[in-house]
Formats: sequence, C-alpha cells, structure tokens
Amino acid sequence: MAILTSPLFFKIAVFPGLTSLAIIAALVTWLDRKVTARVQLRIGPSYVSPVGGILQSFADLIKLAFKELIIPAKADKFFFVAAPVIGMILAGGLVGLIPFSPETQIANLEVGLPVFLAFLTLSPTMVLLAGWSANSKYPFIGGLRSLFQQTAYEIPLWLSAIGVVMMAGTFDLLKIVEAQSTGWFIIPQALGALIFLITITAEMERIPFDLPEAEPEVIMGWQAEYTGFLFLAAQGAGFIKLYVFSALFATIYLGGFLGPAPVPGLVWTLLKTTVIIVLIILLRGSFGRVRIDQLLRAGWTLLLGLAIANIAITYIIIQGIPSI
Amino acid sequence: MTDLAFLAFAFVTVIAAILAIEARDLVYGAVSLGVSFLGVAGLFILLDASYVAAFQISVYIGAVVVLILFTVMLVGPAKGDGPMEFKKASLFGAVLISLMLGMAGTLAATTSFPGREVCGSGCDLQLLSTTLLVDYGIQLELLALVLAAAVIGALTLAKAEKKE
Amino acid sequence: MEPLTSYFAVSAILLGIGIYGLATRRSAIRILFAVELVYNAANLNIIAFSRLRDPPIVTGQVLVLFSIALAAMEAAVGLAIIILAFRINAEIDLRKLTRLKG
Repeated sequence: MAILTSPLFFKIAVFPGLTSLAIIAALVTWLDRKVTARVQLRIGPSYVSPVGGILQSFADLIKLAFKELIIPAKADKFFFVAAPVIGMILAGGLVGLIPFSPETQIANLEVGLPVFLAFLTLSPTMVLLAGWSANSKYPFIGGLRSLFQQTAYEIPLWLSAIGVVMMAGTFDLLKIVEAQSTGWFIIPQALGALIFLITITAEMERIPFDLPEAEPEVIMGWQAEYTGFLFLAAQGAGFIKLYVFSALFATIYLGGFLGPAPVPGLVWTLLKTTVIIVLIILLRGSFGRVRIDQLLRAGWTLLLGLAIANIAITYIIIQGIPSI
Repeated sequence: MTDLAFLAFAFVTVIAAILAIEARDLVYGAVSLGVSFLGVAGLFILLDASYVAAFQISVYIGAVVVLILFTVMLVGPAKGDGPMEFKKASLFGAVLISLMLGMAGTLAATTSFPGREVCGSGCDLQLLSTTLLVDYGIQLELLALVLAAAVIGALTLAKAEKKE
Repeated sequence: MEPLTSYFAVSAILLGIGIYGLATRRSAIRILFAVELVYNAANLNIIAFSRLRDPPIVTGQVLVLFSIALAAMEAAVGLAIIILAFRINAEIDLRKLTRLKG
C-alpha cells in the first residue's frame, strides 16, 4: 500500500508522468491548431467551450477512441499495431528524464542527455516498421522518407547538444540546469541553439520538414493507413515529442527551472517550454515545405558543418582566445 | 531487486537472440535482434556502464538494426530459412554449442571470481572520458579513419553495380 | 551464484546461439544476425570482467566503445556486399554462392 503514496509513484502517475502528460499533449494539440489558425488569420477551434475551444482536443480524443480500427488485409498485424504504440511509449518515456524542478524529476541519470538522445534514435525504426507493415505503397514511401529525414538530422542534433555539454562539463541534466545559474547557455551557444531548434523540428516531421506527411505527394505518409486509436497514437506521439523536445530545449539552453524567486521553478520550466512550443508552432505557419533532396542535403552538409563550427566556437569561448 | 532486473534482462536477451536466429520472417528476426540488443544494454546499465549502454542503444539499435531492416525490406528475400529440420548441420551446431557451453561452464565453476559491490574508479564517467580521449586518443583518431574508409567502401560498393 | 559467473553464463549462452546460427543457417542476412550476436556476447563479457574484477577498471568500457563502433562499420560494409550479391545472383543462399566471378 505504501507504494501508492510514495513520491515516486506520484511523479510517474500524476506529474510529470502519465496523467499530466496526457493532458498536456491534448493541450499542445489545441495550442497547435489555435496558433496556426491565428497566424493564418482564422479563428481555429472555438465551439467546444468554455474558452477558445480548449476542450476540442479532448473531444477529438473521445471521438478517435470510438472509431473503427481498420487493419489492411495483407498488413503485418503485429507491427501495424505495435509500431505507433511503441513510438508513443518511447516519446512519453522521455519526459521522465527532464528536470522540471529539482524535486520533480523522475529519473536523475548521470548520463541523462546521452540516454535521451539514444532513445530518440529508436524512433526512425518505429516509423520504418509502421510504414512497411501497412503493405501499401504510399505509407512505405512515406516511411522511407521519414527514416532518411530523421536519420540525417540526428547527427547535427547530437553535435549541437555537445556544445552544451562542453560548457556545463557534465551529462547530467540537473547539473546542466544548475550550471546555468551564471548565465543561460543560449547566449554563448546561439548557433548551437539555432541548429538544435532546426533539427528538433525536423525530427518531429513538422512543417517546414513535413515532406514524409505531405498530402499531395504521399497522403499522410506512414500514417496513411491508420484509423481510430492507432491514428491517435501516431499523432499523439508527434505532439508528445513536441512537448518533450521543447522541455529539453528549455532545460539545456534556457536554464530550466532557474528564475527569480517568488515564482516556483516548476512554473518557470513550464513557461519556457510553452514559449518554445509556440515558437515551433509559429514556424509551421510561416514557412513553406522543404523538398526532400534539399532537406537531406541541408542535414548532411550544412547543418553538420555548422554544428562542428559550433563546437569549435564553444572551445574558443571556454578556453579563451590565446588558446587558438 | 538487482537480481530480478538481471534475470529479466538476461531472459529477454537470450529469448530474443533465439528468435532472431529461428524466426522465419527476416523482419521479425531483425526486430528481435534489436530487442536482444536492448537487453544487452540493460545488462550494461546493471554493470554501471551507462554511457556504453546509451552508445549501444543509439549505434546498434538506432543504426545497425535500421540498416538491416531496410536492406531486408528493399532488397532482401521475403523469407529467410526458418527453423531447420533435424539434419546433420543442426546436429553439428548443437554439438558445437554444447562443447562450448560446457567448457565455459567448467571454467566458470572452477575459478573463483570476486563479486565486487563497490565500484570506485571503475565506473567514473570522468575517468572514462579522460581515458578515452587522452590515453587512447590516437586510437580514437585511427578509429575515425577506419570509419571513413568503411563509409567510402560501402558507397563504392553501392555504386559499383550501376557502372556495369 | 556469484555475479560474475552469471554474467559470464549469459555471455556464453549468447555466444553459443551466435555460433549455432553461423553453423546452421544458409541465408547471408541470418548469418549477419549471428555475427552481431557474437559481438554482443564479447562486449558483455568484457564489460562484466572489467567491472567485476578486483579493482574495477574503466578500460573495458573504452574497449567496448571501440568494439561497438567497429561492429557497426562491419555490419554496414557486410550489408553493402549482400546487396551487391543479391543484385547479381538473385539469391543469397550461401551454399549456392560458390563462384567469385560476377
């Protein structure tokens, strides 16, 4: 019985774990639609009251949960069902590593950042399996494109995060936040933060990098054959990733839970995360779609070179000019 | 608690390895190979080698399994060979493993290994990075050169069939 | 059972499964699976010995980092060769790939 009231159980089940993750994912979905609508001079969800249609995504959740689950006849049933669900579990599990405040971190690993990025590299596998298992042309092509895109942008992601590690001297996410008490890392790491922002937008397949889901070309890509609950899992994984990556950005570049005293650290973290989420959503409304070959070329050449340049700049910043 | 975790990870690793070799469909085999790698990564974490575990997950599962998967999906045969009927080859294989496991077991049973609980400097992440970059820095550079050679070699192989 | 013996046993079982796969499988991709299993068995063994010896040392982890990188490279080149062989011969049954020409 004692386990139900232990703080670890509270952290996993309520906050920042499962329950709050589900609610926040729904709110992020609503935020995405609302901000995109405003950027496009529309109103966005407004019928499902009380204010600004905020319950719209909960209504969608209930609708999708009751829709019929159609599995194509020749699909590989195991992977068809398992791949998006495992993708969602992976994305949700990452929230356990983020220090929302010194007391509200589920798992404080000494190698927090590499473990975070390592589990990130598992998501292309899930997308490839999802695209292949539908046994249909467009999902497979979409899955391959998504695989190439996500693999191409993983390396600049790692390298730009290495700049933060160099400045903080540790992999531990909690200590990285505490090392920013003298100044947020976004200022010396401006180039790294920009690369990080671009690569996480590409990892989440958001516009402007959403070619694997482009309607005129591959009709929703690897998610094309999914209905009902599996569609919820596939889309939900995307929005959970948006939340988790923005939280990681806020943690390693914007100083996480550090902020002036009267406001608790937890609120600071959520505030900064929301700022980054809105920034990424604004990118959606502002840019056109990048073509797949431009995308891959940019990932492998331009961003890789800039990330290595960022490491060099960070070295110079740390060691001082005479060390060149 | 650690014993339970060790048993769970070891069980998953071995069962997934057997599935990887025996499954008829190559995609299932590749995915269970990935699960086996995940089990090995879990065992690494239990042995206080968390950085190596993260490295294992991102390189083996994130790269090698993906590579195998889309090779199988694009180029490979639909089905590999499944569990074999009792033939000379599987008899030979079974005898070989029994010999090996027997040797290993005898060796393990007759040696007394210490079961250290305190880790000290063997698990220090700082020491790992210093050793890797300072003591073995030259080997690291050579590894990078070998990696470059492997990439160039693979690209050449992939291009060669277009030149015919 | 002492901890090192149990880790050694797991690594020996993985090695055994890998060698069984190498000895009895015809498909080249299946043999690649078996080779990767052997690599994993060796890595697990090295980490276990380096952690559970009398003063634990960190050199085993360094060696395994190198080993993982090399194994990945070897898998990549091996898969490139398999793709080529499949394109030329239309099958990768290793008993039938007996000619070097092609």
